[in-house]
Amino acid sequence: MSISTPGGPERRPTVVSTGKKPAAGRPASGAKPEAGTSAGTSRQTAGGKGPRKPVTPVKVSQGRSWGPIALFVAVGVLAAAIIGYGAYAAFQGSKPWEKRADGIDGIVNYRDKDKDLVKGGNHQQGPIKYSVLPPVAGPHNGSWQNCMGDVYDAPIANEHAVHSLEHGAVWITYRPDLPADQVAKLKEKVQGKEKLMLSPFDGLDKPISLQAWGYQLKVDNADDGRIDDFIKTLRVNASIEGPTALCNTGITATGTTPRDNAPNMPEQPTQ
Amino acid sequence: MTAPATTDSAPEEIAVPDEGDRGSARRYGVLALAAAVVVGLLLGYAGGLLTPGLTRPGDTSAEAGFARDMTTHHSQAVEMGLLAFQRGTDGEVRQIGGDIASGQQGEVGTMQTWLRLWGLDPTGSEPAMAWMPDGAGLVRNGLMPGMATPEEMAKLRAAQGRELDVLFLQMMIRHHLGGIHMLDGILDEGHDEDVLRVAQTMRNTQQTDLTNLQAALKRLGG
Repeated sequence: MSISTPGGPERRPTVVSTGKKPAAGRPASGAKPEAGTSAGTSRQTAGGKGPRKPVTPVKVSQGRSWGPIALFVAVGVLAAAIIGYGAYAAFQGSKPWEKRADGIDGIVNYRDKDKDLVKGGNHQQGPIKYSVLPPVAGPHNGSWQNCMGDVYDAPIANEHAVHSLEHGAVWITYRPDLPADQVAKLKEKVQGKEKLMLSPFDGLDKPISLQAWGYQLKVDNADDGRIDDFIKTLRVNASIEGPTALCNTGITATGTTPRDNAPNMPEQPTQ
Repeated sequence: MTAPATTDSAPEEIAVPDEGDRGSARRYGVLALAAAVVVGLLLGYAGGLLTPGLTRPGDTSAEAGFARDMTTHHSQAVEMGLLAFQRGTDGEVRQIGGDIASGQQGEVGTMQTWLRLWGLDPTGSEPAMAWMPDGAGLVRNGLMPGMATPEEMAKLRAAQGRELDVLFLQMMIRHHLGGIHMLDGILDEGHDEDVLRVAQTMRNTQQTDLTNLQAALKRLGG
């Protein structure tokens, strides 16, 4: 301790002198003149580096101004908050999409609820009965519904739509009585963007229902923020065939009866 | 860190140094130094772990926007290319359609892999083309520069024979011109070396394609 003692007074005046610099140079601004003079002397001590043992330091420390300290504390707290928020945001952002999907209020996760339903990706001809409507997974027609941001103005076949879900599409369906301005808002989200499609769906219990492979979310309003959350979290991510599974060269016609002939062949019936 | 420095400069100034205290202080100094070194190493290690995460393109970066939007842009070219490959009547149209479809689908895979490596979703939270200066203004009904409207795509699907060949060439020329505009955008705005290299390759390919598409269109009298 005897060694660290000379270090103490030696360091302390340096700290004080920076705080009291104005006092030494020009007339003290608000500081007590008494403290100003004592700061001046201890500064000399520090500069001379002499082996003196000043008695004044205790008095000097009384002159400690709380302004800079408060400033440093405030800056420190702010910096810690910024870094903390950044770390939190990075952590949230790096959460796997499955976790984020489960965080969407009201989403139904059939991957957890019905494991048999979501594993069946077999192709099957003819009409297929789905236990969940609009369907979210299961066997489906060999042809997928075109999901290149297609906006369908009439209902489409579930058997094709489910195949699109398997390829990573988010299928937005709405009750045919949804007001036109609401439909227009949905259309704006969908058009021009692959792995999305929009169609009316008869018999919905809610105005709007969103589907991804194994997931469903029903909302009342096209302005509901969860629609964008659902799309961001599940579009492509929910694909069980990866991001390069096709949405193009699918069925572009509407109608709820599945078409068993592949549409991509040269003799494709159009419209 | 300050403790050892103080003891180093101290001895001459101390009038009556106590031997025992001096020894313990030296031990303390060594310990403090060792602790400082360990802390420094840990900080360096943590920094090394965190740096790639902090320096990789973020959710609103030009790189991420480009990867997402060019995926969309490419996807439509793949659709047009496949239609030409399946149903074109001219040999060169079928060939170039298949070439563009398979090439751009491969590039979609590259871009989607970037997003996954950067820990980002394939879907952004900003509007299309927002990563490019004045880019958002180029989007019409959700369509980026050069992209065909749903009506134009329906027309291409419905077209037959020579009409389809010519229509495909016209649409793909416009599509490539829009694509090159976006590629110039990322070449200006981007920083990631790999992204820039791949973008330059895409640009070269599309520029060569353009020459051949235009020559084919001329040959077919379009």
